[in-house]
Amino acid sequence: MSAAVQLVAVRKTFGDVVAVDDVDLTIDNGEFFSLLGPSGSGKTTVLRMIAGFEEPSGGAILLEGIDVTHVAPYDRDINTVFQDYALFPHMTVQQNVEYGLKVKRVPKAERRQRAGEMLDVVRLGGFGERRPNQLSGGQRQRVALARALVNRPSVLLLDEPLGALDLKLREEMQTELKAIQREVGITFVFVTHDQGEALSMSSRIAVFNQGQIEQVGSPVEIYEHPATSFVAGFVGTSNLLDAELSARVLGASAPHTLRPERVSLLGLDDPLPDGSLAATGQAVDVQYLGSFSRLRVHLDGGGVLVASVASDALAGVSDGARVRLSWPSDAALVVATSSSPI
Amino acid sequence: MTTTHRSLRRLLAGAAVLSVVAVACGGDDDDAAVTTTAAPVATDAAPETDPPVDDTGTMPTELGAGEGEVNLIAWAGYVEDGSTDPAVDWVTPFEEATGCQVNVQLGNSSDEMVQLMQTGEYDGVSASGDATLRLIAGGEVAPVNTDLIPNYADVFPDLKLQKHNSVEGVPYGVPHGRGANLLVYNTDLYTTAPDSWGEMFETDSAAAGSVSVYDSPIYIADAAVYLMSTQPELGITNPYSLDQTQFDAAMALLEQQKGIVGQYWALYTDQQAALEGGTALAGTTWQVIVNLAKANGAKIDAVKPVEGATGWSDTWMISSKAAHPNCMYMWMDHIISPQANAEVAEWFGEAPANTASCDLTADPDHCSTYHAGETDYWTDVWYWTTPEETCLDGRTDVTCVPYTEWVNAWNGLRS
Amino acid sequence: MRALGRFMRRHRRLSLASVLGAPVAWMLVIYIGSLAFMVVSAFFRLDGLSQKPTNELTGDNIKTAFTTWTYVEVVLKSVGVAVVVTTLCFVIALPAAFYISKVAAPWARRGLIVAMLLPLWAGYLVKGYAWKAMLRPGSEFGIDTGGGFLNATFGWTPGFGWIAVVLAESYLWLPYMILPIYAGLDRLPPSLLDASGDVGARPMRTFRSIVMPLLVPAIAAGSIFTFSLTLGDFITPNLVTEGKVQMIGNLIQRTLGAPNQPLAAAFTLWPLLIVIVYLAGMKRLGAFESI
Repeated sequence: MSAAVQLVAVRKTFGDVVAVDDVDLTIDNGEFFSLLGPSGSGKTTVLRMIAGFEEPSGGAILLEGIDVTHVAPYDRDINTVFQDYALFPHMTVQQNVEYGLKVKRVPKAERRQRAGEMLDVVRLGGFGERRPNQLSGGQRQRVALARALVNRPSVLLLDEPLGALDLKLREEMQTELKAIQREVGITFVFVTHDQGEALSMSSRIAVFNQGQIEQVGSPVEIYEHPATSFVAGFVGTSNLLDAELSARVLGASAPHTLRPERVSLLGLDDPLPDGSLAATGQAVDVQYLGSFSRLRVHLDGGGVLVASVASDALAGVSDGARVRLSWPSDAALVVATSSSPI
Repeated sequence: MTTTHRSLRRLLAGAAVLSVVAVACGGDDDDAAVTTTAAPVATDAAPETDPPVDDTGTMPTELGAGEGEVNLIAWAGYVEDGSTDPAVDWVTPFEEATGCQVNVQLGNSSDEMVQLMQTGEYDGVSASGDATLRLIAGGEVAPVNTDLIPNYADVFPDLKLQKHNSVEGVPYGVPHGRGANLLVYNTDLYTTAPDSWGEMFETDSAAAGSVSVYDSPIYIADAAVYLMSTQPELGITNPYSLDQTQFDAAMALLEQQKGIVGQYWALYTDQQAALEGGTALAGTTWQVIVNLAKANGAKIDAVKPVEGATGWSDTWMISSKAAHPNCMYMWMDHIISPQANAEVAEWFGEAPANTASCDLTADPDHCSTYHAGETDYWTDVWYWTTPEETCLDGRTDVTCVPYTEWVNAWNGLRS
Repeated sequence: MRALGRFMRRHRRLSLASVLGAPVAWMLVIYIGSLAFMVVSAFFRLDGLSQKPTNELTGDNIKTAFTTWTYVEVVLKSVGVAVVVTTLCFVIALPAAFYISKVAAPWARRGLIVAMLLPLWAGYLVKGYAWKAMLRPGSEFGIDTGGGFLNATFGWTPGFGWIAVVLAESYLWLPYMILPIYAGLDRLPPSLLDASGDVGARPMRTFRSIVMPLLVPAIAAGSIFTFSLTLGDFITPNLVTEGKVQMIGNLIQRTLGAPNQPLAAAFTLWPLLIVIVYLAGMKRLGAFESI
């Protein structure tokens, strides 16, 4: 069975600007796949090339093994949920959802039925006669989803669909989107700049930086084993130790990353547990974050390390205090240096 | 209701007249003054009386100083200050002599002049015969004390106190001059001069498709003039006095003409341009247009056809609401003075009103060319006049088609 | 002054009224007042001899204006010209505006908009005479008439007739159609076009089902200009036809000059009613949200 979407050395330039630089990517059937990266990293351009709105400057795009590089959007078995929803303002909700079917000359009765079913799936049954401007942001979002899904595409593209929603609604929609994806079983390709969103929803994530993919992997792989300094910094927070600091603190002269939550506070005179490493320094900043606190330490001999520790373990530690930090030796990971670290 | 309003209107008109009189009237009864000025057409078979010059208080008995300016409505070519042609200027000498600055608004048709005069913003008008009666009836113009116009004495007698410029022997204005509407033709197309209006009416005309017609209801009379010769059985004896049958025949002729018309002109400059460009090859015209177009190189000439012609006998009239009556009286005297009248007659191409002008024209033969003193010549020139229900030709067994119907018919024709 | 300012701040409503009161009252008096006077004066009887309106009331003018076939014919022809001109303007404006808005490079766009608006700066009469000069036939009866541009270039000209009126009017009012359509296209979110293609619509289908319906208010707004400006014009029709073509405006002008003010006022009710009906129709299409 072929991959749902395959990108082979895809490249896109706008004038002198290289937006997407030789990207290879394979997305399997039924995946909830996220394209994660900061704005301008090329993720939306990749999405628009998959949809067919942009033509690649080089390389090939395959859907279900078929080359669609130069196929127009209307001939691709793909549908998109747009960032601004792009609902047709002159049509009712029902007409919006039915539009794709009407274009494909699906008989009226079947059109009605499928659109009705899809509105039920997105929990908008009974809203069919409303106009888009009579709906809330979350409701419009769901209409856009229904309008795309009703066409039963092999792949659904979602371009930052939750960006315009407030936090609470966004979290609700995240849950709902995952549920819908499971229900319809369609491959979702999801563009976002929100690493939390990507981690919580995706089966796999591709992290974009400056038109290139830094790493592809499951959320756990991405978080636990960031391949590059960029990924380590962009996904969650992380201590980045350059070669010189690594040599001094870790005894290995390659750049390393170390998650703050893997670093713990050790008494100045306590024995070092087996398989652990430690360093001493001066606390320069203590941030109380509820059950956890963030501790910023200037290491003796130079360099900064951030530790995320249980707040009750911090009793008595204040700015300027001498502290000792330790971490399991396998917590420090070698990373490749990215062209543009976060 | 109606009568109340009407007498109010009359009172207002009378008050307006009184307000502009230069010399305050004596202790006469106001009502009498109002009746005399505002209802001069109430011709209750009153016997002819002497002009009520001194005893009504509606006319000035002597002139004061000029008010500094005078606002005129005039036909193109009647008020020339040298801006058209530096040699053509009888306004500047007037302004220098009287201190009255002349402002002129050109009227393109009698209808337009009536409309302009109804605004009450002008001191006087060079009105043709089809406007004069309307102006008198509407109370727009006032009777004139000819004693204050010395040159009036020299006006051709057959122009004085005519039906179109007086009421019951009271003159409303001074005669300016007269002329005929001519047939203009392109001399490239017509190597021999045409002599019939047929060139403008018959579908087999050499100029078919390029006929230039004066765009005014009064042009219906031109069709009637042609019918007087070509369809004598209609019994038309006066082109402004048409019963329904005669009128319908004239309209039918105009409908026929419509098929060969190239231009309906309302602005004299439009016809001038068409004559110069060669898009008008035959048409009805004024001598002044011919002069202007020829000066620009148009290959044209004009004749008075054998059927006779419509024409004009124009009258300078003073507004009943004139703000500058003294200057207006001075203008009326100036424009019929021998020198000025000679100049305007030559420029416009018409016969002067002043008998002494004939000795002063640049072309010594002007008066004979334009038949100024030849009563015979004018017998087949039908001066523009306002058609009324009461037939002007004396018939009493029928009613004639009034001017409002002429307007409607012309509108219908042009639609 | 400061006290006055304090007073004004405290009495916002009053200060608003004092600022807007005079202009609004002026508008009411001038616009509504003159319109009302015109309607009323259509009922005055004209005194046949002096040709001045009397205070007698009559329905004859209205009857003449609305039941005489020749006049109704003029009205119908005028509406016909206005419809043809509006259609022609639309047919030209749509692709032009589409090109400017969606196809032309951004740097060319500004120049094209300026080029489109530039004719509005030229004098109305100048443009009328220019058309007259362009339409002038080359020769008649072997006499050189100094033929115009069309004759010199194509050896053919429609001459001075109805076609001339339609051409000149279309030229005059075209910018008023392009502008709202251009603005309408500019307001159209590009994502809507993507969304339509995304669910399978080809470009023509997208144009028909998405672009056109959303442009209806803009087109309606533009048509208000082209339709009413054409319907009311009397100078250009007179100019480019040597007075041979009469539109409703010419009829009114002619009647007013007769002078027959009451009948002219009655004729004026024709365009008034037509434009009111037209505006009502355009309002339903959402034209007023688009001006």
